[in-house]
Amino acid sequence: MGSSEKRSKDVVMSDIPTFSAENLQKNLKVIQNCRTFLSIIAGVLAGIIGFTGLTGFVFYFVVMLITSVGLMAKAGFSADVYFDSWNRVLFDGFLGGLMSFVLFWTFAYDLVHIF
Amino acid sequence: MAEDLVLDTAIRDWVLIPLSVVMVLIGILRYFVSKLMRSSPSPDAKIVKEGQVIIRARNLKAGANFIPLRSFRTRRLYFSNEENGLLHVPKGQGTNPQAQMFSDPNMAMDMMKKNLSMIIPQTLTFAWVNFFFSGFVAAKIPFPLTQRFRSMLQNGIDLSTVDVSYVSSRSWYFLNLFGLRGLFSLILGDENAIDDTQRMMQMGGFGFDASKSLGAEKDGLDIIQHDWALPRFEQRAESVLRKLVK
Repeated sequence: MGSSEKRSKDVVMSDIPTFSAENLQKNLKVIQNCRTFLSIIAGVLAGIIGFTGLTGFVFYFVVMLITSVGLMAKAGFSADVYFDSWNRVLFDGFLGGLMSFVLFWTFAYDLVHIF
Repeated sequence: MAEDLVLDTAIRDWVLIPLSVVMVLIGILRYFVSKLMRSSPSPDAKIVKEGQVIIRARNLKAGANFIPLRSFRTRRLYFSNEENGLLHVPKGQGTNPQAQMFSDPNMAMDMMKKNLSMIIPQTLTFAWVNFFFSGFVAAKIPFPLTQRFRSMLQNGIDLSTVDVSYVSSRSWYFLNLFGLRGLFSLILGDENAIDDTQRMMQMGGFGFDASKSLGAEKDGLDIIQHDWALPRFEQRAESVLRKLVK
């Protein structure tokens, strides 16, 4: 992801924020892909381990937090260079991954425990 | 009541997995079919010109702070001048695009094709699920839900004492419908990430209404306050050059 995350903010004219729109979008897409992929894997894991009920959702949020931390670390802890606001890095795509998580969680749980 | 129903392995082999596989395949099929059927619309010269004017106006709006005040004002006047400004649409001509859109056979066909390609696979799959896979417990969802969901999730199962977590295959279909969106965005590339649910939400606001967008751009341009963003750029350029030379 290092080479594919482009700098979206020009450092020279750093008084006024200028963003390259297509780099910004590319970065956001990268985040979304990461989150989707990880939510699917988290679902399969949760199903295999056998979480039920609230524990499963807690697990999902833990995984999402780890994702956020990982993304921030990859972006060098300075979101300004790559994104236009911190919130995008941390919270974008939380709920979108939830449905995939539930699907794969149900699937894996059933495959392993019920049948 | 029944703590842990033990379900037949055959259900897993012949219901859950085939249903998921079928839905994934139908999604992929629909993506490719929509790609093939995308008819290239023959562009109308006037509409293209208006579109380009809008793009120019938007660029001016975006870069307004990087050009000196007088140049900005000149350009803005060119666009929004009352007599022959590009964005000024006299009141009479405004209402055409809507009528034109519906009488133009190409666009109507496109909209219909898009609608059909979305609705038909869904309806067919739903009917198939109902016909073949009804009347038994299909899966257990790993989290508890309240009793109100029972009628929604368990509609084929007529026992009222079964735990709400045990759902019928119809709810497995819906779960797949929502959950496979993420999977599609991963495997089909990023451009076709939107699936049924999002497209259904987009169905409301349609119609490229040229005159309204021209008027909107003109208002947007008029509102801008010019804030000269490079007041000391000579000094800044000098400092950058010094850093490079050092």
